[in-house]
Amino acid sequence: MTGASPRGRSVGRPVLVSLAFLAPALVALLVLRLIPAVMAFASSLSHTSLVTGETTFVGLGNYATLFADPTFLQSVRVTLVFSLIVNPLQIAAALALAVLFTRRFAGVRFLRVLVILPIAVPPAVSAAIWSVAYRPDGLLNSVLSVLGVPPQPFLTSPGQALWSLIVLLSWIGVGYWMMFLIAGLQDIPTSLYEAAAIDGASAWARFWHVTLPLLRRPLAFVLVADTVSNFLVFAPVQMLTNGGPQGSTNVTMFDIFTRAYSVGDLNLAQAEVMLLVLLVLAVVIVQFRLLRGRD
Amino acid sequence: MSRRLYALLGTIIGLAFALPLLWALSSSLRGGSEIFRHISRLSWETLVPVDPTLGNYASLVTGDFGRAILNSLLVALVTVAVGLLISAAAAFGLSAVRFRGQGALFAIVVLSFLIPFDAIAIPLATLFRDWDLTNTYAGLILPGLGHGLAIFLLRQFFLAIPKDLVEAARIDGLGWFGVFARIYLPLSRPALVSAGLTLFIFQWQSYVWPLLIGTDAAHQLGPIALANMRGQFTIDYGQLFAGSIVLTVIPLLIILRFQRHFTQSIATTGLK
Repeated sequence: MTGASPRGRSVGRPVLVSLAFLAPALVALLVLRLIPAVMAFASSLSHTSLVTGETTFVGLGNYATLFADPTFLQSVRVTLVFSLIVNPLQIAAALALAVLFTRRFAGVRFLRVLVILPIAVPPAVSAAIWSVAYRPDGLLNSVLSVLGVPPQPFLTSPGQALWSLIVLLSWIGVGYWMMFLIAGLQDIPTSLYEAAAIDGASAWARFWHVTLPLLRRPLAFVLVADTVSNFLVFAPVQMLTNGGPQGSTNVTMFDIFTRAYSVGDLNLAQAEVMLLVLLVLAVVIVQFRLLRGRD
Repeated sequence: MSRRLYALLGTIIGLAFALPLLWALSSSLRGGSEIFRHISRLSWETLVPVDPTLGNYASLVTGDFGRAILNSLLVALVTVAVGLLISAAAAFGLSAVRFRGQGALFAIVVLSFLIPFDAIAIPLATLFRDWDLTNTYAGLILPGLGHGLAIFLLRQFFLAIPKDLVEAARIDGLGWFGVFARIYLPLSRPALVSAGLTLFIFQWQSYVWPLLIGTDAAHQLGPIALANMRGQFTIDYGQLFAGSIVLTVIPLLIILRFQRHFTQSIATTGLK
């Protein structure tokens, strides 16, 4: 906190002026974000009877119910497996593509735009396009048949559905994260690479000792933001698989909405939201710790 | 590795990313029975419609989808205009002068954008139902306005504006609103574009919220109308692809137009 300036210019009226400028945003944030967040927490601690409509305080009862519920436990397992695959995959791909597309070769700018194109595609649209591409007679199987691979069931197979979602989400996400990493790469002074080359460092050594350390901040941002967004994936699951087959794509975000609007238990859904947010926060904190520890 | 190898690799990857969209585009230009004819065996005809027609787009306009696109545009544009004004004013309040308690107010802003919107969508929808905002434009627009990230982006940019400039303008008799409108806003074009894009994309792509709050035909947004096409007993794939292309091309044109501002402001927000 900075306190008042010694000249007294910043005390008195300017404070009120600042508050006047801030007021609309603060009201919006309070009403549209913070109050609902508090409500969500309160709701997760109570139970509304479907018969009488009466709401009673049940403390951590909803949480206990969840942890005894095999559907919930299954969705946690799916979410964790999904996150452990999708995040490293997307970040590694984004980094590799960023390195590739900051090289100089014919058509590089145009080809980079092609990779970034899917950013503009809303999740509902990518789900619509890929749902047709994943059909047994769809585009993907015809591409595979050119490569000599027999037709795959994709979305209808419990073993492949989650992978199909991962491919779709990477198609959307990789170009977006690549953009941040390209911005970071372009900030690294070329003189550092020249110096390393004079010292006789191999391309791999230059990447490991120059690029990676200097790319740490954008990489940390991409890692955290990618993790958070992948925990919240919903539209493609709802449109492509509805959590199935056999619960294999029932990620927590989808489980929450089924609980809230198909089953109709808002309190239980809210408790699950709280657990998801806690999980996200825990993962983000661990990521920050790990990245700082490498300093 | 040689440049030619990079170029080859880059071409294969670029085409792989573009393929689903190219395919959607060409399918949107085909008549109903044509769509699946050329898919199962990959050939040039898979991507190039032999007898292109705009029929799918024409029938979009007459159906619910045209209305939904107009709704999406209205919601996104009003959000950008009002949201930018609110966010820029807040960012100005957080950066032009320093005062006690400013840190706490900034913490509220940061806290609010750390709460994932999907996490509060359910209680917010309950509130909006109580306030009779279901199936209204206000109900669709309002959640896009409280965007902490937009305020954060703008504040980072505003902090870089020299305080001397403000002092000089004040001494010359310019009011605080004048300082905001005539110094801060004109100097912050890249940041405003970037915050505006964030607000636009948030609304244009939103799916969960309009699913909860905009369910009648008059207030349906584009992504919901598209999802509903798939829910019908017989899916008109031509229209599905045409709708997909329309919903993609509009934000794409905006992103391509402002791409430079966007990366420029990434460079100044301290993300790096």
